[in-house]
Amino acid sequence: MKLPRGRLDKSRVVTDPRDTLADVLDRELTGYAVFESQETLLLDGEGRGVMTFSDGVPVLVYHTGTDRGGPPALADLAVPGPYHVSLYTLDAADLESAHEAADLRVSPGMPAERLGGDPALADSTRRAAPDERLSAMGDGDAEAPEDGTADQSAVEAFLDDAEKIEAIKQQARSEARERAQEWDF
Amino acid sequence: MVEVFAVASGKGGTGKTTSTVALGMALSDRYDVTVVDADTGMANLLFHAGLSDAETTLHDVLADEAPVEAATYDRFGLTVVPCGTSLDGFRDADPDRLRDVVAALAEDTDIILLDSPPALDSRTAVLPIVLADRIVVVLQPTIPAISDGLKVQEYATTYDTDVAGLLFNKIRESESIEQVSEKTERYFDGPTLAAVPESERAREARRAGRPLLAHAPECEAATAYRAAAESLTVRDGAAADAADRFQSAVIPESL
Ligand SMILES: Nc1ncnc2c1ncn2[C@@H]1O[C@H](COP(=O)(O)OP(=O)(O)OP(=O)(O)O)[C@@H](O)[C@H]1O
Ligand SMILES: [Mg+2]
Repeated sequence: MKLPRGRLDKSRVVTDPRDTLADVLDRELTGYAVFESQETLLLDGEGRGVMTFSDGVPVLVYHTGTDRGGPPALADLAVPGPYHVSLYTLDAADLESAHEAADLRVSPGMPAERLGGDPALADSTRRAAPDERLSAMGDGDAEAPEDGTADQSAVEAFLDDAEKIEAIKQQARSEARERAQEWDF
Repeated sequence: MVEVFAVASGKGGTGKTTSTVALGMALSDRYDVTVVDADTGMANLLFHAGLSDAETTLHDVLADEAPVEAATYDRFGLTVVPCGTSLDGFRDADPDRLRDVVAALAEDTDIILLDSPPALDSRTAVLPIVLADRIVVVLQPTIPAISDGLKVQEYATTYDTDVAGLLFNKIRESESIEQVSEKTERYFDGPTLAAVPESERAREARRAGRPLLAHAPECEAATAYRAAAESLTVRDGAAADAADRFQSAVIPESL
């Protein structure tokens, strides 16, 4: 995915990508966000997730570490926080050619629903999306219908990554052991 | 006999409280069931069980100001131990007394369900999982819910608590959950007990301050909870030393 650099709008550490999605929607940002995991333990901590937005509504997702796009890239992005997130603004015209990459596309509500785990935010994102985004996704594209089946592919892609899930489990176990002492159970 | 289950999920709002009460009611056909609001910082089981005006609650018991019996209420065929919602009540409560509360309740019931907080970041939040024999993990078909559910499982098993099963909740009509639940099961130590549909009845019930199974016993969501209860095999804990078990519920030596 090639994008003009744009203007850095904000850069900070968030624990939950949901907060970034809510913030972007709230401010109707046109541009993109770069997510960088702070978690060095995890394999997919390598590389960055890039998500583009039109007026606050997600359009494309791409992961530089795995070179995957669309719903599977959302799964690559899903590592336990925190993330370092940078937001860049662009003119809509600068995004036009990038947004032609159909294979990187996600449905408007998918990031909030599946990555953010916030159905209410997904609903408001869908309401903010232009009609053609809600129907155009259906054009024989595998990731087609808004909601339901399409969104699940991100969850399934996540579940297909056995190595990452093992890493999440391992991390939780060592955390649990450390804390048992700290909490003096 | 008694078996203690913590109904848990790392993530908030997945439906733990709804599920605790619904599973409890479904299990009460076969067992004597006690449900406890162990989410002592953000209690709200009382609002699901028509107990919003309960005088004495778990907070008073944890503050050593009342005996357990004073905070138990018979509602909807269950024994309910609600918790208060005030900050003062939370401040004065000694979370460690939950051990004794569970031990005392265990003398007189078949199943205890602990509605657990949506966090793993404090001793208080984790205690219900430590005290339980097994956990029921409440999941939604999203990446963060599943990922947080995995963390809960790993905490539980590290602390010698087993996994009874998974409850997928708030499944939308357009979603087919089979694929996701099958893949999810690969990483969990327990089976999927049920997939509960997203249901307007569940929200209505919450607004009416009644359990889902009392408000709309024939709806699809209620039916799913009954199926979950059906597929849960309750283990025979040794009755005699129940109190002992919970008083000494500690992290295994191997840590
Ligand atoms: N199957 C369902 N369909 C629709 N709404 C549901 C369903 N299950 C629960 N809800 C609603 O979701 C909200 C959260 O449910 P609940 O309080 O049971 O979750 P929780 O996991 O206990 O939350 P918390 O983490 O805050 O303790 C409530 O408004 C409840 O009515
Ligand atoms: Mg709750």
